[in-house]
Amino acid sequence: MSETTRKQKPELLAPAGNLEKLKFAIHYGADAVYIGGKQFGLRSKAGNFSFEDMAEGVAFANKYGAKVYVAANIIAHNDNLEGAHQYFKKLYEIGIAAVIVADPALIQACREAAPDLEVHISTQASIANWKTVEFWKNEGIPRVVLAREVSLAEIKEMKEKVDIEIEAFIHGAMCISYSGRCVLSNHMTSRDANRGGCAQSCRWKYDLFEDGTDGAVSVTEESDELYTMSSQDLSMVEHLPDLLDLGVDSLKIEGRMKSIHYVATVVNVYRKIIDTYFDDPENYQLNPEWTDEIWKAAQRSLTTAFYYHEPTDKDQLYGKPDRIPKYDFAGLVLDYDENTQVATIQQRNSFGVGDEVEFFGPNFYHFKQTINEIWDENGEPLERAKHAMMITKVKVDQPLKYYDMMRKQK
Amino acid sequence: MTNSFQPELQATAKDLDEVKRLAEAGADALIIGHQDYGIRVAGDFTIDQIAEATTYLHEQNKRIYLLVNAIFHNEHIETLPSYLRELERLNVDGIVCGDPSIFQMIKDIDLSIPLTWNPETLSTNYQTLRFWHQRGLSRAILSNELALDAIKEIKQAVSFPIEIQVHGMTCIFQSKRKLVRNYYQHIDKAYDSDKPMFLKQEKKDETHYPVYEDVNGTHIMSNEDLAMVDYLDAILEAEIDGLKINGLLKSTDYNEKIVKIYREAVDTYLKDPASYQMKKTGWKQQIFAIQPEDRKLDTGFYFKEQIY
Repeated sequence: MSETTRKQKPELLAPAGNLEKLKFAIHYGADAVYIGGKQFGLRSKAGNFSFEDMAEGVAFANKYGAKVYVAANIIAHNDNLEGAHQYFKKLYEIGIAAVIVADPALIQACREAAPDLEVHISTQASIANWKTVEFWKNEGIPRVVLAREVSLAEIKEMKEKVDIEIEAFIHGAMCISYSGRCVLSNHMTSRDANRGGCAQSCRWKYDLFEDGTDGAVSVTEESDELYTMSSQDLSMVEHLPDLLDLGVDSLKIEGRMKSIHYVATVVNVYRKIIDTYFDDPENYQLNPEWTDEIWKAAQRSLTTAFYYHEPTDKDQLYGKPDRIPKYDFAGLVLDYDENTQVATIQQRNSFGVGDEVEFFGPNFYHFKQTINEIWDENGEPLERAKHAMMITKVKVDQPLKYYDMMRKQK
Repeated sequence: MTNSFQPELQATAKDLDEVKRLAEAGADALIIGHQDYGIRVAGDFTIDQIAEATTYLHEQNKRIYLLVNAIFHNEHIETLPSYLRELERLNVDGIVCGDPSIFQMIKDIDLSIPLTWNPETLSTNYQTLRFWHQRGLSRAILSNELALDAIKEIKQAVSFPIEIQVHGMTCIFQSKRKLVRNYYQHIDKAYDSDKPMFLKQEKKDETHYPVYEDVNGTHIMSNEDLAMVDYLDAILEAEIDGLKINGLLKSTDYNEKIVKIYREAVDTYLKDPASYQMKKTGWKQQIFAIQPEDRKLDTGFYFKEQIY
């Protein structure tokens, strides 16, 4: 890529289901995080933030120059609109940088209550063409989150035709429907998918029948797998420069329900890729370690979804799940004494002497070692650290810092 | 209720024959389209066929609406203006749309066709509809997953006509992916997209969700057919302006009988509510008599609570 066409470094945007995840996401390199409040969000089962937690999150983010967005992306019914004005006003006062909204009623409420609070249009609005992007631009919207059904070629055209910030997903689970255009959950469980109650009915198994003159015949034979619709998870880890070259403004990672280990690992990899690419685009090469690292957090097989071509059966989750090694977040590093080479580690999952573990931290720092010695807080030797959140001392050969993490294969 | 209130009974049609027969049976307006621009059209109409249907309906003082309600991608945007111009030239009475690009496009090309806003699942509160009204909608179709009380509240809060579906299956899922084709590929069998298909929930043998694919992707339809014929009193009392019969995946014979029944029921109620009460069970019985065996009837979300 020539100097003249070189694009700005995009924002890396990470999910944060609670305050602790927010801190890890930002410490590991996210430029911005998106969170849910107690109202108007689509993840009623995620931790979600009180106003106090939001304020603490914003204060933490400010130290890193990072931003905090709040998803308020329900499709509201009449009764849900009450309190919207106060809610947006409060978010603005707290210092939230933008709200992610799908329902125009909430856009309007935000405009009226907090005119200076930025509004981004959520992927729930299924924005899939440049004319809709232009429509929102003319409405004064600074940023749109695209539908997950658009291709890179379509994004390119949108960027060429409309001067607006574009946010696109790069990693995580996806709705198999156009987001917001699915009410399977409403019909099968009376839980409203578009107000946070999604029961993920799309991931269930079904019997498929052909209806003919002789009645209905099951398509599925005994040896076949039942009909199912789930997609593999999106990952652009091997193709990120293609999005960077388009000048996409914000690269979004899905997963407010995901673990700290997931968020830290995925953010760490994409941070490294973005920085490496922008340091020297001409000589950029994919480092296999980055892909390996992504797989340590992966829960399903991975696909590039609609970015290069329409997904086929190869992009779906059929058959036995791929055997993906699963990792536990075993411990959080609180401190490291370089003289004694002893780390203070808060236990997050059981670990013990003889375990092979991996330490990792921001900027893709990582190394493996076998644990030889553990002590409790009082200096008594331990065979295993069994108790949740217990403080341990562990002999570690290489230096560590606060916020570094220790993982262990399950 | 004022005497002047006259709701519009609307029905979908798959071809010119069905347009004529449903108009004859008493529909005030027909809804047609082509899958290149519309989603879940009952059948594809060419421009010439749209012209013929329009002339036919206008001669009878009936109206014609065109489904232009796909979730558009860039490629649609190229050809949409000329398609809309054609529809304008044919003097159709309205276009039914669900992608916000349409508001920008109407402005860009100064189109004069009235717009019925139908973003399916996203039409759930009056503030949202007021927002789109300020951007140019003439009428709005409400989401199917709304209680009748909420619908009444919306009707009272807005100044433009609103429409709801009163009969037939409803769409509950749309994917851009070819999910049925992909599955056939996976189990290594030949896929015939002309065959009617349906899904059953695992271990729920009584369920029946029609599923099909077209150029817009995969569509899954509701387990039951909506049938509000015996609750029209509540709907008409609220002066809901448009009552839609969705004839998707049904025969013209069936749809013709359904339109006749609803025509009679609506007219009876408007003339003599007491007579409607006497006759409503009979109409429901008539529907039961022609209902396909595997399609149950229910009242959708009109009287149902949802949690979230």
